[in-house]
Amino acid sequence: MNTPSRYALRILATLSVAASAGTAIAAPSCGTDPVVLNAYFETGFPLPTRLSEEFTKQFPNVTFDIKEDQFANMMENSPRILSEDNAPDLIRLPSLTDLVANNLLLNLDTYFTEFGWDKFPAGQLVQLRVEEGGRPRGTGSLFGMGLNYSMTGVFYNKALAEQIGMTEPPKTVAELDALLAKAKEAGIQPIMQWNKGTAGLAFPLQNLMGAYGPPEPINDWIFQKDGATINTPEALKAAEHLDGWIKAGYFPPDANAIEYFQMMSRFIGGEGLFMFNGDWESGNLDTNAKDKFGFFIMPSAEEGGRHASMSAPLSYGIGAKAANPDCAAFFLDWVATNEEARKINVAVGGSNPGGPADMAIPPVEPGSVTEQSLAAGAQLAQDNGAMDFIANATGAIFAAGWTPELQKMIGGQQTATGLLEAVQKEYETQLSR
Amino acid sequence: MTENASSVPDARHQIPLPAARRGRRKSLTAWLFITPAFLFYAAFVLVPLIMSLYYSFLRWDGIGEARFHGLTNYITVLTDSDLLQIIGNAFQLVLYFTIIPVGLGLAVASAIRGQMNGRFGMATRTILFLPQVIPLVAAGIAWSWMFASTGLVNQALKSVGLSSWVKGWLGDFVWALPAVGVIGAWVLLGLCTMLLVTGITKIDTSLYEAARLDGARPWHEFRYITLPGLRQEIGVCITVTVIAALASFDIVYISTQGGPGITTTVPGLEIYRLAFAHRQVGLASALAIVLMVLVLLSIAPVQWFTRDKK
Amino acid sequence: MKSATTNTLLARALIVLLMAITLLPFLSMLSAALAPAGSYPNGLQWPADPQWGNFVRAFEVAKMDQLLLSSGLIVLGVVPVAVLLATMAGYGLAKLTTDKYKWLYLAFVFGLTLPFEAVITPLYYEVRAMGLLNTRFAIILPLIGLYMPFGVYWMRAHFLNVPQDLSEAAQIDGATRWTEFWYVQVPLARPAIMSLTILLFLWTWNQFLLPVVLVQDPMQRTMAGALGAFQGQWGTDIPLLCAGSLLILTPTVVIFLIFQRQFVAALMQGAVKG
Repeated sequence: MNTPSRYALRILATLSVAASAGTAIAAPSCGTDPVVLNAYFETGFPLPTRLSEEFTKQFPNVTFDIKEDQFANMMENSPRILSEDNAPDLIRLPSLTDLVANNLLLNLDTYFTEFGWDKFPAGQLVQLRVEEGGRPRGTGSLFGMGLNYSMTGVFYNKALAEQIGMTEPPKTVAELDALLAKAKEAGIQPIMQWNKGTAGLAFPLQNLMGAYGPPEPINDWIFQKDGATINTPEALKAAEHLDGWIKAGYFPPDANAIEYFQMMSRFIGGEGLFMFNGDWESGNLDTNAKDKFGFFIMPSAEEGGRHASMSAPLSYGIGAKAANPDCAAFFLDWVATNEEARKINVAVGGSNPGGPADMAIPPVEPGSVTEQSLAAGAQLAQDNGAMDFIANATGAIFAAGWTPELQKMIGGQQTATGLLEAVQKEYETQLSR
Repeated sequence: MTENASSVPDARHQIPLPAARRGRRKSLTAWLFITPAFLFYAAFVLVPLIMSLYYSFLRWDGIGEARFHGLTNYITVLTDSDLLQIIGNAFQLVLYFTIIPVGLGLAVASAIRGQMNGRFGMATRTILFLPQVIPLVAAGIAWSWMFASTGLVNQALKSVGLSSWVKGWLGDFVWALPAVGVIGAWVLLGLCTMLLVTGITKIDTSLYEAARLDGARPWHEFRYITLPGLRQEIGVCITVTVIAALASFDIVYISTQGGPGITTTVPGLEIYRLAFAHRQVGLASALAIVLMVLVLLSIAPVQWFTRDKK
Repeated sequence: MKSATTNTLLARALIVLLMAITLLPFLSMLSAALAPAGSYPNGLQWPADPQWGNFVRAFEVAKMDQLLLSSGLIVLGVVPVAVLLATMAGYGLAKLTTDKYKWLYLAFVFGLTLPFEAVITPLYYEVRAMGLLNTRFAIILPLIGLYMPFGVYWMRAHFLNVPQDLSEAAQIDGATRWTEFWYVQVPLARPAIMSLTILLFLWTWNQFLLPVVLVQDPMQRTMAGALGAFQGQWGTDIPLLCAGSLLILTPTVVIFLIFQRQFVAALMQGAVKG
């Protein structure tokens, strides 16, 4: 983008903000005085930093003081950091409910009105709404915004797929099973998946849950609706299926020692036919390994069945004690509505940038992974199959429930039934606090 | 000796002051010397310790209102299977942190049985002490890399034809805890070795000569001369290493984060998680008090066996 | 000493083996640190094209200069105060009190085996109430308190070994307690003070739990705490992580090599007495 048009954009951005704010009230902004936004981002994902750089370019009075940490650490640290005096203005939210229950996050309802976020498809923001007191989620006030809206599916290595004769993505779970078996037979690592630090097996597990049953009961569980349980017959089928994959040796034997980024580097390095992961890696794969990988949505159990998959906003919130809430909110609005920001979002992140319903997704290169994952996202929206991440049900369910239990499962120390029972028990303990 | 001190005539007064007044003046000076240290100690150790004890009877998320919870937290610590396993992990670590350094240290000491002088001795000291100087965090990072899938341990196994042994050590249910133990042993090895090597030079060599004349086997020399002679040093090594194992945090935090499952979670890490991530301040505090008591209980017999008999 | 018998040969072989085991992790880190940034190198393999630039990059991203300054400030805040207070109290307990005050000494000694984890939770709330969270004082003040048990124990043990008549002689000369302490006892206690200083320096520099809990900003932390944050932020890039770790190790290792004799003595005595 050349310089003059950046000015034009800035004016446009200001105009669109002013327009959506109505006539009387001027929407919050970053003003003209120097502002330093205190930000807490997740390590290893360049998108938020790239967006912040672009933002500073457009609004030079705003700079960012960015701290980064790995996801597992963020889950443990965020309540403490948000409760301190210099709470972050912008923070990547691993999970919402506990933070809301403890009044650590700013209620964004006024910004919702002022910025006119009602023009965004309502479904986009559902996962970011929480009732007073922290539960249930899915309704109530808005406590976060997505930098983008991502989904999980299956990445595949095109060369290895060709080697085992996979010409098109599988249409049923049975077809997927057949491909896995073929890969195993051919001496190819069928799935590359991480399971150290946090449990990467949660992705295939939730995908299988989506294949075996409707997403609604799972969302109810994640949103902490009364009486919800993860220990359902459908979920059990999914867990048993996953255990079958483990027993068949489809996952790397040292999965419990593989961290997320090791998985990425090994998968890009050609190890593994499939990888269950989110479209936030599409941009990365397009940039660093052009034309080598593809993406498909997790197939349903029956051909033509309803697709359901984990799909969640890359959620960011504003600390209740933040020093610059207006500016932070303005940034979140800018990310969703500014053309340049949306371009960066798709190019770097690879996910749907969200935003107002009438704003088109910036064009992507034909044949790219990003194109395929965006198409999969459209398919998911059509089937109304979005589920939040099962690891986001409570603040500690990932660290204290899914991660240790799935690590046990892949280590041959936990059964499908035991897994769901243990996680449900941990869930109930945490809700009873 | 204090008796002597108080009988010292005060040079500024020709007539000795009454004993009571002298004593009072002296205890006042004593207080002036001791109080600053005590204030810091009280403010940042004793008060927090009492608060820990107080929290341990509460049900508190650290933000909202606290409720009295009786002994429930302690009952949880002593009955919850996960927490018991976590405490057990710490004691398993003792096996590695303590036995490897002390065992290898004894082997070296009884083999060398003499002062390590010259350039070789100096090089030995310098190198063996390196792990003591660096942060445990660094040891954790270095060894995470050693144990990584492509790390040196697996590389070495492959090169000697043991490819079937190659594994992700820190993610393996059977091997993760021993691997963490090896890291601790590596850190403590040099210190114990040097302590024992220095200690053995203090044993009267004539004892060994007499034993040899009596036709004693090396094992007997070791059993009846070396071990008793090194009792104090062994006690020191055991004390230091046991505390390091039971109160471990840094190494585990960096290398495994307590996984896989909870096979390498130790009380120190669990206290941190419970208090700050899971917001169960009461339970965390109860575990903290239990940990403190366990350390005291484990150290007391070692101290008693190795010091008082002298 | 006898000539090289099988025993001493065996001992030497054993020691060389131990030295090798001690050094291997460092070498393995070095070889990884020289691999191309972002790659997944092998355990120990000299790279064809060593990337010394990784160290430069690690120095920049870790902001080593600021880290050194921060750790230095913390050490300066902790060590002189802690050593002074411990020396005074050690002297007071050894020379100025009767058995009536044994409980005071025992109160200090009680803290010797205390794991820091046992007080970290209340310390957090205490430091927060004092408004010191996320400042260097959040590390400095608690550390002074936490070092008192060892410091006092250590200095008291030294002063107990000072012959009584020395202090009597000073008194006859008309010195007040304070000048006696300052001009007679402290200079004589220099070796003990030196060792204590070295130990407290190392423990402060390498302290991890306090910075992790009490200070979020790596630039306000100790070296070990900063290394933890560095791993959090750059742990995904093995060569950079190894380069950064080695850099962060360097200052203590250099100081250790310079004062090797004193360090070894201090660490060994520290262990024996502690």
